[in-house]
Amino acid sequence: MARSLWTGSLSFGLVNVPVALYSAARDQDIHFHQLHAKDGARIEMRRFCAEEDAEVGYEDIGHGYELDSGKQVVLTDAELDAVAPRKTRTIDIQSFVDAADVDPILFDHPYWLIPTGDSEGPRRAYRLLVEAMGDADRVALGRFVLRTKEYLVAVRVRDGLLALTTMLFADEIRPAKGIAPGGAKPGKEAVAQAVRLVEALGDEFDPSAYRDEHRKRLRAVIKEKEKGGTIQAPEQDEEPAVAGDLLEALRQTMADLNAKGSGTKGKGSGTKAKGKAQAKPKAKSR
Amino acid sequence: MPRSIWNGTIAFGAVAVPIKLYSAVEAKTVHFHEVHLDDGARIEHRAFCSKEDKEVPKDEVVKGFELRSGRYVVVDREEIAAAGGTRSRIIDVDRFVPLADVDPVFFDKSYFVGPQDDGADAYKLLQAALEQTGRAALGRFTFHNREYLVAIRAYENVLALHTMRFADELVGPKDLDVPRAARKPDRREIAMAQQLIDSLHEEFRPGRLHDEHREAILAAIQAKAKGQEIEPPEDVDTEPPDDLMAALEASLGKGKDKGGKATKKTSSSKKGSSRRKAAA
Repeated sequence: MARSLWTGSLSFGLVNVPVALYSAARDQDIHFHQLHAKDGARIEMRRFCAEEDAEVGYEDIGHGYELDSGKQVVLTDAELDAVAPRKTRTIDIQSFVDAADVDPILFDHPYWLIPTGDSEGPRRAYRLLVEAMGDADRVALGRFVLRTKEYLVAVRVRDGLLALTTMLFADEIRPAKGIAPGGAKPGKEAVAQAVRLVEALGDEFDPSAYRDEHRKRLRAVIKEKEKGGTIQAPEQDEEPAVAGDLLEALRQTMADLNAKGSGTKGKGSGTKAKGKAQAKPKAKSR
Repeated sequence: MPRSIWNGTIAFGAVAVPIKLYSAVEAKTVHFHEVHLDDGARIEHRAFCSKEDKEVPKDEVVKGFELRSGRYVVVDREEIAAAGGTRSRIIDVDRFVPLADVDPVFFDKSYFVGPQDDGADAYKLLQAALEQTGRAALGRFTFHNREYLVAIRAYENVLALHTMRFADELVGPKDLDVPRAARKPDRREIAMAQQLIDSLHEEFRPGRLHDEHREAILAAIQAKAKGQEIEPPEDVDTEPPDDLMAALEASLGKGKDKGGKATKKTSSSKKGSSRRKAAA
Protein backbone atom coordinates (compact mmCIF):
# COMPACT_ATOMS: atom_id res chain seq x y z
CA MET A 1 0.00 0.00 0.00
CA ALA A 2 1.13 3.46 -0.85
CA ARG A 3 2.38 5.80 1.83
CA SER A 4 0.15 8.51 3.14
CA LEU A 5 1.03 12.06 2.12
CA TRP A 6 -0.39 13.72 5.16
CA THR A 7 -2.08 12.80 8.40
CA GLY A 8 -4.29 14.99 10.49
CA SER A 9 -7.95 15.37 11.13
CA LEU A 10 -10.99 16.36 9.22
CA SER A 11 -12.92 18.77 11.33
CA PHE A 12 -16.41 20.13 10.98
CA GLY A 13 -18.11 21.92 13.77
CA LEU A 14 -16.45 20.46 16.83
CA VAL A 15 -16.26 16.97 15.38
CA ASN A 16 -12.80 15.69 14.52
CA VAL A 17 -12.09 12.67 12.36
CA PRO A 18 -8.44 11.52 12.32
CA VAL A 19 -7.51 10.75 8.72
CA ALA A 20 -4.58 9.98 6.44
CA LEU A 21 -4.36 11.34 2.91
CA TYR A 22 -3.47 9.10 -0.06
CA SER A 23 -3.24 10.05 -3.70
CA ALA A 24 -6.04 8.55 -5.78
CA ALA A 25 -3.99 8.81 -8.96
CA ARG A 26 -0.66 7.19 -9.75
CA ASP A 27 1.83 8.22 -12.36
CA GLN A 28 2.13 5.52 -15.01
CA ASP A 29 3.94 7.70 -17.51
CA ILE A 30 7.14 6.53 -19.09
CA HIS A 31 9.93 8.81 -17.97
CA PHE A 32 13.22 9.57 -19.63
CA HIS A 33 16.54 10.84 -18.34
CA GLN A 34 18.68 13.42 -20.07
CA LEU A 35 21.94 11.96 -21.31
CA HIS A 36 25.06 13.30 -22.97
CA ALA A 37 24.90 11.93 -26.53
CA LYS A 38 28.68 11.47 -26.78
CA ASP A 39 29.28 9.24 -23.78
CA GLY A 40 25.81 8.30 -22.58
CA ALA A 41 26.48 9.82 -19.13
CA ARG A 42 23.69 11.44 -17.16
CA ILE A 43 23.18 15.17 -17.50
CA GLU A 44 23.20 17.27 -14.34
CA MET A 45 21.62 20.67 -14.16
CA ARG A 46 23.77 23.27 -12.42
CA ARG A 47 22.71 26.72 -11.46
CA PHE A 48 24.75 29.66 -12.68
CA CYS A 49 24.55 33.36 -12.08
CA ALA A 50 23.88 34.84 -15.48
CA GLU A 51 25.93 37.93 -14.66
CA GLU A 52 28.98 36.47 -12.95
CA ASP A 53 29.03 33.26 -15.03
CA ALA A 54 29.77 31.34 -11.83
CA GLU A 55 28.00 28.40 -10.22
CA VAL A 56 25.64 29.33 -7.38
CA GLY A 57 24.70 27.16 -4.42
CA TYR A 58 21.07 26.66 -3.38
CA GLU A 59 21.57 28.79 -0.28
CA ASP A 60 22.43 31.80 -2.44
CA ILE A 61 19.32 31.60 -4.58
CA GLY A 62 16.28 33.79 -3.95
CA HIS A 63 12.86 34.11 -5.52
CA GLY A 64 12.44 37.02 -7.91
CA TYR A 65 9.11 38.52 -8.82
CA GLU A 66 8.79 41.15 -11.49
CA LEU A 67 6.37 43.95 -10.65
CA ASP A 68 4.29 45.61 -13.36
CA SER A 69 6.74 48.51 -13.19
CA GLY A 70 9.51 46.16 -14.28
CA LYS A 71 11.15 46.44 -10.90
CA GLN A 72 12.19 43.14 -9.35
CA VAL A 73 11.35 42.13 -5.78
CA VAL A 74 13.41 39.33 -4.30
CA LEU A 75 12.10 37.15 -1.49
CA THR A 76 14.31 34.76 0.43
CA ASP A 77 13.30 31.23 1.41
CA ALA A 78 12.74 32.47 4.97
CA GLU A 79 10.44 35.23 3.79
CA LEU A 80 8.44 32.86 1.62
CA ASP A 81 8.19 30.49 4.58
CA ALA A 82 6.81 33.32 6.67
CA VAL A 83 4.04 33.85 4.13
CA ALA A 84 3.35 30.14 3.75
CA PRO A 85 0.21 29.23 5.63
CA ARG A 86 0.84 27.80 9.07
CA LYS A 87 0.91 24.04 8.85
CA THR A 88 -2.02 22.61 10.68
CA ARG A 89 -3.15 19.11 11.27
CA THR A 90 -6.68 19.81 10.22
CA ILE A 91 -8.81 19.95 7.12
CA ASP A 92 -11.26 22.63 8.09
CA ILE A 93 -14.69 22.01 6.66
CA GLN A 94 -16.34 25.38 6.23
CA SER A 95 -19.57 24.49 4.51
CA PHE A 96 -21.53 21.79 2.78
CA VAL A 97 -22.94 22.32 -0.70
CA ASP A 98 -25.06 20.28 -3.10
CA ALA A 99 -22.89 17.87 -5.06
CA ALA A 100 -24.80 18.68 -8.25
CA ASP A 101 -23.79 22.35 -8.06
CA VAL A 102 -20.04 21.73 -8.07
CA ASP A 103 -18.86 21.42 -11.66
CA PRO A 104 -16.01 18.89 -11.95
CA ILE A 105 -14.07 21.39 -14.10
CA LEU A 106 -13.01 22.84 -10.73
CA PHE A 107 -11.54 19.53 -9.57
CA ASP A 108 -7.79 19.24 -9.66
CA HIS A 109 -6.00 16.32 -8.02
CA PRO A 110 -7.93 13.41 -6.44
CA TYR A 111 -7.06 11.87 -3.07
CA TRP A 112 -8.53 9.46 -0.57
CA LEU A 113 -9.06 10.11 3.11
CA ILE A 114 -8.71 6.99 5.24
CA PRO A 115 -9.42 6.81 8.99
CA THR A 116 -6.36 6.43 11.19
CA GLY A 117 -5.75 5.29 14.71
CA ASP A 118 -6.46 2.00 16.36
CA SER A 119 -9.41 3.01 18.44
CA GLU A 120 -13.02 2.48 17.57
CA GLY A 121 -14.06 6.11 18.11
CA PRO A 122 -12.30 7.70 15.13
CA ARG A 123 -13.44 4.91 12.82
CA ARG A 124 -17.02 5.42 13.84
CA ALA A 125 -16.72 9.17 13.40
CA TYR A 126 -15.42 8.54 9.86
CA ARG A 127 -18.28 6.17 9.09
CA LEU A 128 -20.73 8.64 10.53
CA LEU A 129 -19.56 11.36 8.16
CA VAL A 130 -19.73 8.96 5.20
CA GLU A 131 -23.29 7.96 6.03
CA ALA A 132 -24.53 11.43 6.83
CA MET A 133 -22.98 13.03 3.72
CA GLY A 134 -23.69 10.24 1.28
CA ASP A 135 -27.38 10.23 2.04
CA ALA A 136 -27.76 13.93 1.46
CA ASP A 137 -25.57 13.97 -1.67
CA ARG A 138 -23.54 16.79 -0.24
CA VAL A 139 -19.98 17.92 -0.80
CA ALA A 140 -17.97 19.39 2.03
CA LEU A 141 -15.82 22.42 1.20
CA GLY A 142 -12.80 23.20 3.25
CA ARG A 143 -9.23 24.30 3.28
CA PHE A 144 -6.06 22.64 4.32
CA VAL A 145 -2.31 23.01 3.99
CA LEU A 146 -0.32 20.38 2.15
CA ARG A 147 3.40 21.04 2.22
CA THR A 148 3.64 24.83 1.82
CA LYS A 149 0.42 25.59 0.01
CA GLU A 150 -3.10 26.04 1.22
CA TYR A 151 -5.69 24.29 -0.88
CA LEU A 152 -9.37 24.66 -1.30
CA VAL A 153 -10.75 21.13 -1.19
CA ALA A 154 -13.97 19.27 -1.80
CA VAL A 155 -14.67 16.16 0.25
CA ARG A 156 -17.32 13.79 -1.00
CA VAL A 157 -18.39 10.20 -0.58
CA ARG A 158 -17.15 7.75 -3.20
CA ASP A 159 -17.34 3.97 -2.95
CA GLY A 160 -18.20 4.24 0.73
CA LEU A 161 -15.07 6.27 1.50
CA LEU A 162 -14.28 9.95 1.77
CA ALA A 163 -12.68 11.26 -1.42
CA LEU A 164 -10.87 14.59 -1.30
CA THR A 165 -10.14 16.70 -4.36
CA THR A 166 -8.04 19.83 -4.47
CA MET A 167 -9.96 22.52 -6.32
CA LEU A 168 -9.17 25.33 -8.67
CA PHE A 169 -10.41 28.77 -7.76
CA ALA A 170 -13.18 30.21 -9.90
CA ASP A 171 -10.88 32.87 -11.34
CA GLU A 172 -8.61 30.13 -12.66
CA ILE A 173 -11.33 28.94 -15.04
CA ARG A 174 -11.29 31.08 -18.14
CA PRO A 175 -14.62 32.54 -19.18
CA ALA A 176 -16.18 30.50 -21.99
CA LYS A 177 -17.49 33.74 -23.46
CA GLY A 178 -16.81 34.27 -27.14
CA ILE A 179 -16.41 30.57 -27.83
CA ALA A 180 -20.02 29.59 -28.55
CA PRO A 181 -21.17 30.36 -32.08
CA GLY A 182 -23.85 32.97 -32.51
CA GLY A 183 -26.76 32.72 -34.91
CA ALA A 184 -29.96 30.74 -34.85
CA LYS A 185 -30.46 27.73 -32.61
CA PRO A 186 -30.47 24.40 -34.42
CA GLY A 187 -33.87 23.24 -35.67
CA LYS A 188 -35.98 20.95 -33.52
CA GLU A 189 -35.96 18.15 -36.03
CA ALA A 190 -32.19 18.26 -36.38
CA VAL A 191 -31.73 18.19 -32.59
CA ALA A 192 -34.14 15.28 -32.29
CA GLN A 193 -32.20 13.41 -34.96
CA ALA A 194 -28.88 14.16 -33.22
CA VAL A 195 -30.30 13.04 -29.87
CA ARG A 196 -31.47 9.77 -31.44
CA LEU A 197 -27.99 9.21 -32.84
CA VAL A 198 -26.29 9.98 -29.53
CA GLU A 199 -28.63 7.55 -27.78
CA ALA A 200 -28.05 4.92 -30.47
CA LEU A 201 -24.30 5.22 -29.95
CA GLY A 202 -24.91 5.27 -26.23
CA ASP A 203 -23.21 2.84 -23.92
CA GLU A 204 -22.36 2.43 -20.28
CA PHE A 205 -19.12 3.93 -19.05
CA ASP A 206 -16.73 1.05 -18.58
CA PRO A 207 -13.33 2.44 -17.59
CA SER A 208 -11.68 -0.99 -17.83
CA ALA A 209 -12.46 -1.03 -21.56
CA TYR A 210 -9.87 1.67 -22.17
CA ARG A 211 -6.14 1.12 -22.13
CA ASP A 212 -3.44 3.70 -22.56
CA GLU A 213 -2.46 2.90 -26.14
CA HIS A 214 0.07 5.69 -26.10
CA ARG A 215 2.03 4.15 -23.25
CA LYS A 216 1.94 0.80 -25.04
CA ARG A 217 3.23 2.31 -28.28
CA LEU A 218 5.96 4.23 -26.49
CA ARG A 219 7.12 1.00 -24.86
CA ALA A 220 7.15 -0.64 -28.28
CA VAL A 221 9.26 2.24 -29.63
CA ILE A 222 11.77 1.79 -26.82
CA LYS A 223 11.89 -1.97 -27.39
CA GLU A 224 12.45 -1.52 -31.10
CA LYS A 225 15.27 0.95 -30.44
CA GLU A 226 16.84 -1.44 -27.96
CA LYS A 227 17.05 -4.00 -30.75
CA GLY A 228 18.63 -1.41 -32.98
CA GLY A 229 15.59 -0.98 -35.18
CA THR A 230 14.29 2.20 -36.75
CA ILE A 231 11.04 3.91 -35.93
CA GLN A 232 8.74 5.35 -38.52
CA ALA A 233 6.17 7.99 -37.74
CA PRO A 234 2.66 6.82 -38.64
CA GLU A 235 0.69 8.69 -41.24
CA GLN A 236 -1.97 10.85 -39.69
CA ASP A 237 -5.66 10.11 -40.05
CA GLU A 238 -7.31 12.41 -42.46
CA GLU A 239 -9.73 15.01 -41.26
CA PRO A 240 -13.20 14.13 -42.50
CA ALA A 241 -14.93 16.77 -44.58
CA VAL A 242 -17.89 18.61 -43.15
CA ALA A 243 -21.10 17.22 -44.59
CA GLY A 244 -22.89 19.62 -46.91
CA ASP A 245 -26.19 18.43 -45.50
CA LEU A 246 -25.90 17.91 -41.75
CA LEU A 247 -29.29 16.27 -41.38
CA GLU A 248 -28.47 13.86 -44.17
CA ALA A 249 -25.20 12.93 -42.44
CA LEU A 250 -27.13 12.21 -39.24
CA ARG A 251 -29.66 10.09 -41.10
CA GLN A 252 -26.94 8.25 -42.99
CA THR A 253 -25.08 7.40 -39.79
CA MET A 254 -28.30 6.25 -38.16
CA ALA A 255 -29.13 4.07 -41.16
CA ASP A 256 -25.65 2.53 -41.09
CA LEU A 257 -26.05 1.81 -37.42
CA ASN A 258 -29.41 0.13 -37.93
CA ALA A 259 -28.03 -1.92 -40.80
CA LYS A 260 -25.31 -3.24 -38.53
CA GLY A 261 -27.80 -4.09 -35.82
CA SER A 262 -27.23 -3.21 -32.21
CA GLY A 263 -23.51 -3.90 -32.39
CA THR A 264 -22.53 -0.73 -30.57
CA LYS A 265 -23.35 -2.09 -27.16
CA GLY A 266 -20.23 -4.24 -27.18
CA LYS A 267 -17.41 -3.60 -24.79
CA GLY A 268 -14.66 -3.24 -27.37
CA SER A 269 -11.82 -0.97 -26.48
CA GLY A 270 -11.45 2.03 -28.64
CA THR A 271 -13.13 0.53 -31.66
CA LYS A 272 -14.73 3.17 -33.76
CA ALA A 273 -18.26 4.15 -34.37
CA LYS A 274 -19.84 2.56 -37.36
CA GLY A 275 -20.17 4.22 -40.69
CA LYS A 276 -16.61 5.47 -40.60
CA ALA A 277 -16.08 4.63 -44.25
CA GLN A 278 -18.13 7.62 -45.29
CA ALA A 279 -16.28 9.88 -42.94
CA LYS A 280 -12.85 8.90 -44.15
CA PRO A 281 -12.63 8.63 -47.88
CA LYS A 282 -8.92 7.85 -48.00
CA ALA A 283 -7.40 4.76 -46.47
CA LYS A 284 -5.19 5.37 -43.51
CA SER A 285 -2.04 3.54 -42.64
CA ARG A 286 -2.33 1.52 -39.53
CA MET B 1 -11.50 35.98 -28.23
CA PRO B 2 -9.00 33.50 -26.80
CA ARG B 3 -6.46 31.79 -29.05
CA SER B 4 -7.00 28.17 -29.99
CA ILE B 5 -4.37 25.55 -29.19
CA TRP B 6 -5.50 22.74 -31.49
CA ASN B 7 -7.67 22.53 -34.59
CA GLY B 8 -9.32 19.37 -35.84
CA THR B 9 -12.57 17.52 -36.30
CA ILE B 10 -14.82 15.61 -33.95
CA ALA B 11 -16.07 12.64 -35.97
CA PHE B 12 -18.74 10.05 -35.30
CA GLY B 13 -20.31 8.11 -38.13
CA ALA B 14 -20.69 10.39 -41.13
CA VAL B 15 -20.96 13.42 -38.89
CA ALA B 16 -17.96 15.74 -38.75
CA VAL B 17 -17.74 18.74 -36.43
CA PRO B 18 -14.73 20.94 -37.21
CA ILE B 19 -13.56 22.44 -33.95
CA LYS B 20 -10.95 24.50 -32.19
CA LEU B 21 -9.62 23.72 -28.74
CA TYR B 22 -9.00 26.37 -26.10
CA SER B 23 -7.47 26.04 -22.67
CA ALA B 24 -10.11 26.29 -19.95
CA VAL B 25 -7.77 26.71 -17.02
CA GLU B 26 -5.37 29.48 -16.25
CA ALA B 27 -3.50 28.66 -13.06
CA LYS B 28 -2.98 31.80 -11.02
CA THR B 29 -0.20 30.45 -8.87
CA VAL B 30 2.34 33.19 -8.19
CA HIS B 31 5.49 32.29 -10.08
CA PHE B 32 8.96 33.39 -9.16
CA HIS B 33 12.15 33.01 -11.10
CA GLU B 34 15.40 32.08 -9.44
CA VAL B 35 17.80 34.94 -8.78
CA HIS B 36 21.25 35.17 -7.28
CA LEU B 37 20.80 36.79 -3.86
CA ASP B 38 24.14 38.60 -4.05
CA ASP B 39 23.48 40.60 -7.18
CA GLY B 40 19.85 39.96 -8.11
CA ALA B 41 20.87 38.48 -11.47
CA ARG B 42 18.93 35.66 -13.06
CA ILE B 43 19.91 32.08 -12.45
CA GLU B 44 20.51 29.94 -15.52
CA HIS B 45 20.29 26.18 -15.59
CA ARG B 46 23.20 24.71 -17.50
CA ALA B 47 23.52 21.11 -18.58
CA PHE B 48 26.68 19.35 -17.44
CA CYS B 49 27.96 15.92 -18.32
CA SER B 50 28.31 14.07 -15.03
CA LYS B 51 31.25 12.06 -16.35
CA GLU B 52 33.27 14.82 -17.99
CA ASP B 53 32.26 17.55 -15.55
CA LYS B 54 31.93 19.85 -18.55
CA GLU B 55 29.06 21.93 -19.87
CA VAL B 56 27.13 20.24 -22.67
CA PRO B 57 25.52 22.19 -25.50
CA LYS B 58 21.74 21.61 -25.89
CA ASP B 59 22.10 19.70 -29.15
CA GLU B 60 24.23 17.08 -27.43
CA VAL B 61 21.56 16.27 -24.86
CA VAL B 62 19.40 13.25 -25.67
CA LYS B 63 16.65 11.35 -23.90
CA GLY B 64 17.35 7.93 -22.50
CA PHE B 65 15.05 5.30 -21.06
CA GLU B 66 16.64 3.36 -18.23
CA LEU B 67 16.40 -0.39 -18.58
CA ARG B 68 16.34 -2.65 -15.55
CA SER B 69 19.96 -3.54 -16.27
CA GLY B 70 20.87 0.13 -15.75
CA ARG B 71 21.62 0.51 -19.45
CA TYR B 72 19.95 3.34 -21.34
CA VAL B 73 18.07 3.21 -24.62
CA VAL B 74 18.38 6.53 -26.41
CA VAL B 75 15.20 7.66 -28.11
CA ASP B 76 15.02 10.86 -30.13
CA ARG B 77 12.23 13.37 -30.25
CA GLU B 78 10.78 12.10 -33.54
CA GLU B 79 10.74 8.55 -32.26
CA ILE B 80 8.84 9.56 -29.16
CA ALA B 81 6.46 11.55 -31.34
CA ALA B 82 5.88 8.44 -33.46
CA ALA B 83 4.15 6.85 -30.47
CA GLY B 84 1.62 9.66 -30.48
CA GLY B 85 -0.79 7.83 -32.70
CA THR B 86 -2.56 8.90 -35.85
CA ARG B 87 -5.22 11.26 -34.57
CA SER B 88 -3.51 14.63 -34.60
CA ARG B 89 -6.36 16.09 -36.68
CA ILE B 90 -9.34 14.10 -35.52
CA ILE B 91 -11.19 13.28 -32.32
CA ASP B 92 -12.53 9.84 -32.99
CA VAL B 93 -15.74 9.46 -31.00
CA ASP B 94 -16.27 5.95 -29.83
CA ARG B 95 -19.50 6.10 -27.86
CA PHE B 96 -21.69 8.37 -25.77
CA VAL B 97 -21.91 7.57 -22.07
CA PRO B 98 -24.07 9.04 -19.30
CA LEU B 99 -22.05 11.91 -17.83
CA ALA B 100 -23.29 11.05 -14.34
CA ASP B 101 -21.58 7.63 -14.61
CA VAL B 102 -18.16 9.15 -15.22
CA ASP B 103 -16.70 9.94 -11.84
CA PRO B 104 -14.76 13.22 -11.92
CA VAL B 105 -11.61 11.37 -10.75
CA PHE B 106 -11.27 10.30 -14.36
CA PHE B 107 -11.01 13.90 -15.53
CA ASP B 108 -7.49 15.22 -15.79
CA LYS B 109 -7.02 18.45 -17.78
CA SER B 110 -9.90 20.56 -19.04
CA TYR B 111 -10.33 22.46 -22.28
CA PHE B 112 -13.09 24.32 -24.06
CA VAL B 113 -14.20 23.31 -27.53
CA GLY B 114 -15.36 25.94 -30.02
CA PRO B 115 -16.46 25.62 -33.65
CA GLN B 116 -14.38 26.42 -36.69
CA ASP B 117 -15.91 28.92 -39.09
CA ASP B 118 -17.63 26.28 -41.21
CA GLY B 119 -18.71 24.15 -38.27
CA ALA B 120 -21.14 26.33 -36.31
CA ASP B 121 -24.26 24.33 -37.25
CA ALA B 122 -22.76 20.93 -36.52
CA TYR B 123 -21.26 22.28 -33.27
CA LYS B 124 -24.56 23.68 -32.05
CA LEU B 125 -26.27 20.42 -32.86
CA LEU B 126 -23.74 18.33 -30.96
CA GLN B 127 -23.86 20.73 -28.02
CA ALA B 128 -27.67 20.57 -27.92
CA ALA B 129 -27.72 16.78 -28.21
CA LEU B 130 -25.15 16.30 -25.43
CA GLU B 131 -26.94 18.76 -23.19
CA GLN B 132 -30.32 17.16 -23.77
CA THR B 133 -29.13 13.59 -23.28
CA GLY B 134 -26.77 14.35 -20.40
CA ARG B 135 -24.18 12.26 -22.17
CA ALA B 136 -20.48 12.72 -22.83
CA ALA B 137 -18.76 11.71 -26.06
CA LEU B 138 -15.75 9.46 -25.46
CA GLY B 139 -12.99 9.34 -28.00
CA ARG B 140 -9.30 9.56 -28.60
CA PHE B 141 -7.08 12.21 -30.09
CA THR B 142 -3.42 13.16 -30.36
CA PHE B 143 -2.30 16.38 -28.76
CA HIS B 144 1.34 17.47 -28.59
CA ASN B 145 2.43 14.06 -29.87
CA ARG B 146 0.55 12.21 -27.19
CA GLU B 147 -2.68 10.31 -27.52
CA TYR B 148 -5.41 10.94 -24.98
CA LEU B 149 -8.73 9.44 -24.16
CA VAL B 150 -11.14 12.35 -23.86
CA ALA B 151 -14.67 13.07 -22.71
CA ILE B 152 -16.58 15.89 -24.40
CA ARG B 153 -19.64 17.25 -22.66
CA ALA B 154 -21.94 20.26 -22.57
CA TYR B 155 -20.69 23.02 -20.28
CA GLU B 156 -22.68 26.26 -20.03
CA ASN B 157 -23.38 27.06 -23.69
CA VAL B 158 -20.22 25.46 -25.01
CA LEU B 159 -18.54 22.06 -25.03
CA ALA B 160 -15.84 21.13 -22.55
CA LEU B 161 -13.22 18.48 -23.26
CA HIS B 162 -11.53 16.59 -20.44
CA THR B 163 -8.48 14.40 -20.94
CA MET B 164 -9.11 11.20 -19.02
CA ARG B 165 -7.08 9.14 -16.61
CA PHE B 166 -7.01 5.46 -17.41
CA ALA B 167 -8.35 2.96 -14.91
CA ASP B 168 -4.83 1.73 -14.09
CA GLU B 169 -3.79 5.27 -13.17
CA LEU B 170 -6.33 5.37 -10.38
CA VAL B 171 -5.93 4.10 -6.85
CA GLY B 172 -9.11 2.39 -5.74
CA PRO B 173 -10.47 1.37 -2.34
CA LYS B 174 -9.03 -2.11 -2.92
CA ASP B 175 -5.52 -0.63 -3.07
CA LEU B 176 -5.99 0.86 0.38
CA ASP B 177 -6.06 -0.71 3.76
CA VAL B 178 -9.19 0.74 5.26
CA PRO B 179 -9.82 0.03 8.94
CA ARG B 180 -13.49 -0.65 9.58
CA ALA B 181 -15.52 0.38 12.54
CA ALA B 182 -16.70 -2.54 14.63
CA ARG B 183 -20.04 -0.92 15.29
CA LYS B 184 -21.90 1.27 12.83
CA PRO B 185 -22.92 4.71 14.00
CA ASP B 186 -26.47 4.59 15.31
CA ARG B 187 -29.46 6.36 13.86
CA ARG B 188 -29.43 9.13 16.41
CA GLU B 189 -25.81 9.99 15.61
CA ILE B 190 -26.48 9.99 11.86
CA ALA B 191 -29.51 12.21 12.33
CA MET B 192 -27.49 14.65 14.39
CA ALA B 193 -24.61 14.66 11.93
CA GLN B 194 -27.05 15.34 9.13
CA GLN B 195 -28.53 18.16 11.14
CA LEU B 196 -25.06 19.60 11.55
CA ILE B 197 -24.36 19.25 7.82
CA ASP B 198 -27.67 21.00 7.09
CA SER B 199 -26.79 23.85 9.41
CA LEU B 200 -23.53 24.35 7.51
CA HIS B 201 -25.25 24.02 4.14
CA GLU B 202 -24.77 26.83 1.65
CA GLU B 203 -25.36 27.52 -1.96
CA PHE B 204 -22.17 26.80 -3.90
CA ARG B 205 -20.75 30.13 -5.04
CA PRO B 206 -17.22 29.46 -6.25
CA GLY B 207 -16.55 33.13 -6.97
CA ARG B 208 -16.62 33.89 -3.25
CA LEU B 209 -13.82 31.51 -2.42
CA HIS B 210 -10.49 33.23 -2.80
CA ASP B 211 -7.00 31.88 -2.96
CA GLU B 212 -5.83 33.35 0.33
CA HIS B 213 -2.41 31.84 -0.13
CA ARG B 214 -1.94 33.63 -3.47
CA GLU B 215 -3.19 36.87 -1.91
CA ALA B 216 -0.77 36.52 1.01
CA ILE B 217 2.19 36.00 -1.31
CA LEU B 218 1.24 38.99 -3.47
CA ALA B 219 0.82 41.11 -0.32
CA ALA B 220 4.26 40.04 0.89
CA ILE B 221 5.76 41.02 -2.46
CA GLN B 222 4.16 44.45 -2.21
CA ALA B 223 5.35 44.83 1.38
CA LYS B 224 8.87 43.88 0.45
CA ALA B 225 8.81 46.30 -2.51
CA LYS B 226 8.05 49.05 0.00
CA GLY B 227 10.96 47.93 2.15
CA GLN B 228 8.82 46.45 4.91
CA GLU B 229 9.74 43.36 6.84
CA ILE B 230 7.84 40.12 6.54
CA GLU B 231 6.98 38.41 9.80
CA PRO B 232 5.48 35.00 10.31
CA PRO B 233 1.80 34.89 11.34
CA GLU B 234 0.68 33.91 14.82
CA ASP B 235 -0.67 30.49 15.52
CA VAL B 236 -4.26 30.10 16.56
CA ASP B 237 -5.41 26.63 17.45
CA THR B 238 -8.41 25.38 19.32
CA GLU B 239 -8.62 22.05 21.09
CA PRO B 240 -11.85 20.30 20.22
CA PRO B 241 -13.58 17.82 22.52
CA ASP B 242 -12.92 14.11 22.22
CA ASP B 243 -16.29 12.47 22.68
CA LEU B 244 -18.21 12.10 19.38
CA MET B 245 -21.71 12.59 20.76
CA ALA B 246 -20.63 15.53 22.87
CA ALA B 247 -18.89 17.07 19.87
CA LEU B 248 -22.00 16.72 17.72
CA GLU B 249 -24.16 18.26 20.42
CA ALA B 250 -21.73 21.09 21.05
CA SER B 251 -21.41 21.79 17.32
CA LEU B 252 -25.16 21.86 16.88
CA GLY B 253 -25.57 24.18 19.83
CA LYS B 254 -23.01 26.47 18.25
CA GLY B 255 -24.65 26.18 14.85
CA LYS B 256 -28.07 27.08 16.25
CA ASP B 257 -26.85 30.12 18.14
CA LYS B 258 -25.01 31.75 15.32
CA GLY B 259 -26.23 29.93 12.23
CA GLY B 260 -23.91 28.00 9.93
CA LYS B 261 -22.87 31.01 7.93
CA ALA B 262 -21.92 33.02 10.95
CA THR B 263 -19.65 30.21 12.10
CA LYS B 264 -17.98 30.19 8.72
CA LYS B 265 -17.53 33.93 8.58
CA THR B 266 -15.85 34.17 11.95
CA SER B 267 -13.38 31.49 11.08
CA SER B 268 -12.44 33.01 7.73
CA SER B 269 -12.16 36.57 8.99
CA LYS B 270 -9.92 35.37 11.79
CA LYS B 271 -7.62 33.89 9.20
CA GLY B 272 -7.76 36.98 7.06
CA SER B 273 -6.67 39.25 9.84
CA SER B 274 -3.73 37.12 10.85
CA ARG B 275 -2.60 37.10 7.22
CA ARG B 276 -2.98 40.83 6.92
CA LYS B 277 -0.87 41.30 9.97
CA ALA B 278 1.73 39.09 8.40
CA ALA B 279 1.78 41.09 5.23
CA ALA B 280 1.77 44.51 6.84
